[in-house]
Amino acid sequence: MTALLDINDLRVTFNTRYGEVTALDSVSLNVNAGETLGVVGESGCGKSITALATMGLIPSPPGRIAGGSIKLAGEELTGASDARLRALRGADIAMIFQEPMTSLNPVFTVGDQIAEAIMLHQKVSAAQAFKDAIALLDRVGIPSPAERARDYPHQLSGGMRQRVMIAMAVSCRPKVLIADEPTTALDVTVQAQIFDLLNEIQREFGAAIILITHDMGAISEMADRVAVMYAGRVIEQARADDVLDAPQHPYARGLIDCIPALGKGETELREIPGVVPPLHLLGAGCAFADRCAHKFARCESEKPLLADHGHHPAACHAVEEGRI
Amino acid sequence: MSTSFILRRLGYGLLLMLGVVVLNFLLIRLAPGDPAVVIAGEMGGATEEMLESIREEYGLNKPVLVQLWIYVSGVAQGNLGESFFFNQPVSKLIAQRIGPTILLVISAQLLSILIGVFLGVIAARKPNGLMSGFVTVFATIGYAVPVFWTGIMLIILFASALPIFPVEGMQSVKLRDAPFFTQAVDVAHHLVLPAFTLAIIYLAQYARLSRASMLEVLGSDYIRTARAKGASERSVLFRHALRNAALPILTVAGLQFGNLISGALLVETVFNWPGMGRLAFESILRRDYPTIMGVLFFASAMVVVANLLTDISYRWADPRLRGRS
Repeated sequence: MTALLDINDLRVTFNTRYGEVTALDSVSLNVNAGETLGVVGESGCGKSITALATMGLIPSPPGRIAGGSIKLAGEELTGASDARLRALRGADIAMIFQEPMTSLNPVFTVGDQIAEAIMLHQKVSAAQAFKDAIALLDRVGIPSPAERARDYPHQLSGGMRQRVMIAMAVSCRPKVLIADEPTTALDVTVQAQIFDLLNEIQREFGAAIILITHDMGAISEMADRVAVMYAGRVIEQARADDVLDAPQHPYARGLIDCIPALGKGETELREIPGVVPPLHLLGAGCAFADRCAHKFARCESEKPLLADHGHHPAACHAVEEGRI
Repeated sequence: MSTSFILRRLGYGLLLMLGVVVLNFLLIRLAPGDPAVVIAGEMGGATEEMLESIREEYGLNKPVLVQLWIYVSGVAQGNLGESFFFNQPVSKLIAQRIGPTILLVISAQLLSILIGVFLGVIAARKPNGLMSGFVTVFATIGYAVPVFWTGIMLIILFASALPIFPVEGMQSVKLRDAPFFTQAVDVAHHLVLPAFTLAIIYLAQYARLSRASMLEVLGSDYIRTARAKGASERSVLFRHALRNAALPILTVAGLQFGNLISGALLVETVFNWPGMGRLAFESILRRDYPTIMGVLFFASAMVVVANLLTDISYRWADPRLRGRS
C-alpha cells in the first residue's frame, strides 16, 4: 500500500547571491492516514521548506522544486497547476504555522477568516460558513465561540489564536495536517493543551499529521515515527521510540542528549557545539562532520546515504562501520 | 466608532481653525503692499486724502490688534468681511467658487489614489518586473515635473494638437441652458485635463508608496496563511494585503490634501477653472485682504475636515485602533 502522503527524493533549490543553493537534498518522507510523523532538527535544517514544498508554497522565484515527487493519495503535486494546488490547499492539505501572533490577518475577525477558508472549498452561504466557523471555534475549545468569532486577532491571547489557526486548518477536514512548530511561541501549559487538541482532532478526523518541531519532548508525546533532518537531508528515520531510545546518528544522539533531565543534579545545559553550516558552503562530505566527535577521513570526502546499518536507517559512515 | 472620539477631534479642529485665522491675519499684514493704494489705483488716482479716507472706510488705520479682534469676532459670527475689490461679502464670493474647487480637488484625489494604488499593487506583485520599473520611473518623473508645466503640456497635446478636450473653463457657454445631464457631461469633459494635471504628482507618490507598503505586507505571515487556505492570488492581493497596506496610504492621503488644495491654485490658473484658487491668486495681486483670508479660511477648513476623515478611515481600516470593546 502506498502512503497517503509520499515524498520521494525531493530536491528544492534557491537562487541566492552565492548562486544556486540546495535547500533540500533527496528528502524522502511518508505518512499514512491517522499517523503522526515528527520532523525534527535545528533551525535552518529544511523542516519548514519541506512543509512549504508540500503545500506548493515555495516562494518562486527564488525557490523551485528541482526534482523528486510529492504524491498525495497517489496524485503528483510537483508539476500540478496553480489552480489545482489552490483547490487542494486548505481542503486536502492544511497547515498550522509557528507564529499565531502574526499568522492571522489583523484586519478581519477570526470568524470571517475561518468562514473564508470554508467558503473557498465548499459551496455554502456566507451565513452558513460563519455558523460553521462558530461550531469549529467551539470544537477547538474556545469559550463563548459566538462572541469570539466577532473578535479581531489582537483581542485574543496567543493560545486562543493558535486554536483559531487549528480551527481554520481543520475546517475542511484535511487529509494531511502540517503543524510547523505549533507550540514554539506558547507557554508550556498551553503547549500541552494544543497537543491534546491535535491528538483529539486526529482521532476524530483521521488526518495524517506532520509535526515539525525542534522539541524532542513534543516528539515523544505526539509522534508515531520520526525523521531527523540536518542541512537539507533526512539523516535518520524510524519509529519514534526507536529514535528516542537508541538514536544512531551522532546528531540525533546530540539532540536527545540536549533534553534537560529533571532531578539529575545537572547544572549546565548541554548543547551540540557549532551551528548548521551555511548551505552554500556544504562540501562533498557529511554536512555534520565539522561538529561531529566521531569524524574520520571518509566523512570529509563522501556524503553518507540513509541506510539501515543494523538498528534503523541512519546516514552516517561511523554507524555504518560500527565505530559508534 | 465612538461619538466622543469624533466630537473631541472636531473640538481640536475648531481650536486649530482659530489659530489659522489669527496667523493668516498677522501674516498678511506683515506682507509688503498697501491695499489702499491698490483700491485708489482702481478708482483712478491716489491723493493722500483719498488714501486716508479709504483707510478710514475699511478700518485699515486702526491698530493691528484691534483690526484682528474685529476680524476674529466677525469670523466667529460667520462674517468673513467684505472684499475690497468686489464690494461684496467674501462669503458670497467664496460660495460661488468653492464648488468647482471641491469638484477639482476631490476628482484629482480620487484619480490619484485609485490609479496610483492600482499601479503600486500591480508593481508589488513582481518587484523586479517591468511594471515595477515603470512605476518607479514614472513616479520619479511625476514627482519632479512642476504642475503648471504638466498642465501646459497636456493642453498642447490633448486640447491643441489632438483637440479631444477643451482648453480651458468649466462649461461651454452654449450649453448654459441645456438639461442637467448634458451639463454634467460637459463639466466632466472640461474636468479631465485639470484633474489629471493635478493628480499626476500625487498619483506617482501613491504608486510608489503602495508598492513599498504592499511589498512589506506581502512578506508577512498572514499572507502565507491566506495562500495556505487556498485563496486566489487576486484575493491575496486585494483582500488580504491591500487593506493592511492601506494604512500608510491613508496617512499620506490625509496629509496630501492640503498640498492638493495649493496645487489646485496653480491648476485653476492654468486652465482658467472658476474656483477658489484663481480667486485667491487674483486677490493676492489686488491686496484684497478679506478675500485672501476668506479663501485661506476655507482651504484650512477643508484640510481640517480631510484630516478628520483620515482619522475615521484609519479606524475603519485597522481594528486595532478602535480600542477594546
